[in-house]
Amino acid sequence: MGASSSSRGNKITAHDKAILDLKVQRDKLKQYNKRLDLVIAKELSLAKGHLAKGDKKRALLALRRKKFQEGLLEKTQLQMTNLDELTFSIEHALVEKQVFEGLSAGNQVLKELHKEMSLADVEKLMDETAESIAYQNEIDEMLSTRLSVAEEEDIERELDEMVETALPNVPVILPQVDRIVQEEVQPAKEASLKKISNKNTRTLNEPMLA
Amino acid sequence: MSQSISNAALGLSQSPALASGFQFPSIHNFPPFYTLQPTASTWSNQAELWGTIIMRYYKHHRLYQLDLDDTATNEQLFNNQRINRKLKPETIQAIVDEMAKKGDAEWDTTSRKRRAIIYWRKPEDWASLISSWVFESGLNNSILTFYEIAHGDNSEDQEFYNIHTTVLQKALDILVKRGVATTFQGASFEDMGVKFFSAGA
Repeated sequence: MGASSSSRGNKITAHDKAILDLKVQRDKLKQYNKRLDLVIAKELSLAKGHLAKGDKKRALLALRRKKFQEGLLEKTQLQMTNLDELTFSIEHALVEKQVFEGLSAGNQVLKELHKEMSLADVEKLMDETAESIAYQNEIDEMLSTRLSVAEEEDIERELDEMVETALPNVPVILPQVDRIVQEEVQPAKEASLKKISNKNTRTLNEPMLA
Repeated sequence: MSQSISNAALGLSQSPALASGFQFPSIHNFPPFYTLQPTASTWSNQAELWGTIIMRYYKHHRLYQLDLDDTATNEQLFNNQRINRKLKPETIQAIVDEMAKKGDAEWDTTSRKRRAIIYWRKPEDWASLISSWVFESGLNNSILTFYEIAHGDNSEDQEFYNIHTTVLQKALDILVKRGVATTFQGASFEDMGVKFFSAGA
């Protein structure tokens, strides 16, 4: 409401002009009253002056004028009160209008907010939330029982490392492999050697090992 | 001469007081002070002192307009009968010219240097006084007439009560520029009104 009312407040409306005209009228009456006050005071002093000189007739005339002007003063004061009351009423009505505008703006916002979250939507949202929670629970359970792929990989890597640190055993195994390969590669030779002597096979192979 | 002016200026408050309670500084009784001094530096000193005296006098008596044809005020301010010296109108004009340079005065452009507004309070300061009064009296967002601000019942106890229309206009112009108010015209040209915005002060 703040932004809209300040931009509206910067403009002079027809209401504003009407109030100004009323207030200008009141100002003019006020000035007129001041003038009457002076005139009345002057008539009074005139009357006193005439009376001091013994001129009763003129004193009476001055007092009569004073009475007339006092009547005018009373009337204008009444008019001023009326103008003031009218101005105050208008100003008050404007304030009430602003209050009404404020309330309806607030109401509008509330309505829009409500529109954005219909009951069905809220219900759906709550269902979805419940689903999500259930899903999350499921995941939690799975995680606490099973290891993830990454963890499995970690474990395998750890195993590999352990195997590598155990390398010193490898040379002992290799010669055997070598011998097997040799045995496979040279079956003909061996066969011929076997022909010579079964005992010699070992003696022949031993130098090759060295 | 320059020496004697500054010496006299030091005793700025020793001279018989006027009926209004205003006291001229002692330099007001110094005969050469009433003659436009030919030396530039002396003159600038002299003009500044006169400016100070005028502003103090105007502030004390709540006057706003200096009028070369307003004999009653000028007789008291610029004519020292005790020493039989008075300022010539041309000298007063020269002094006001100097004041105008500093923003302490402003000639009424239609008066051919006969009338000037004396700003013993800067228009910006008047503007601030008025806007804080409006804010404190809760008059934001309502319509005020110029007359109401200067002579209304609500402003009777305010510094700016009976403010000169030109000064008021100027102060309100500043408030319009600051974006806190807008002035507008009523049914006739002299019926000016102002609306202060709710942002205020």
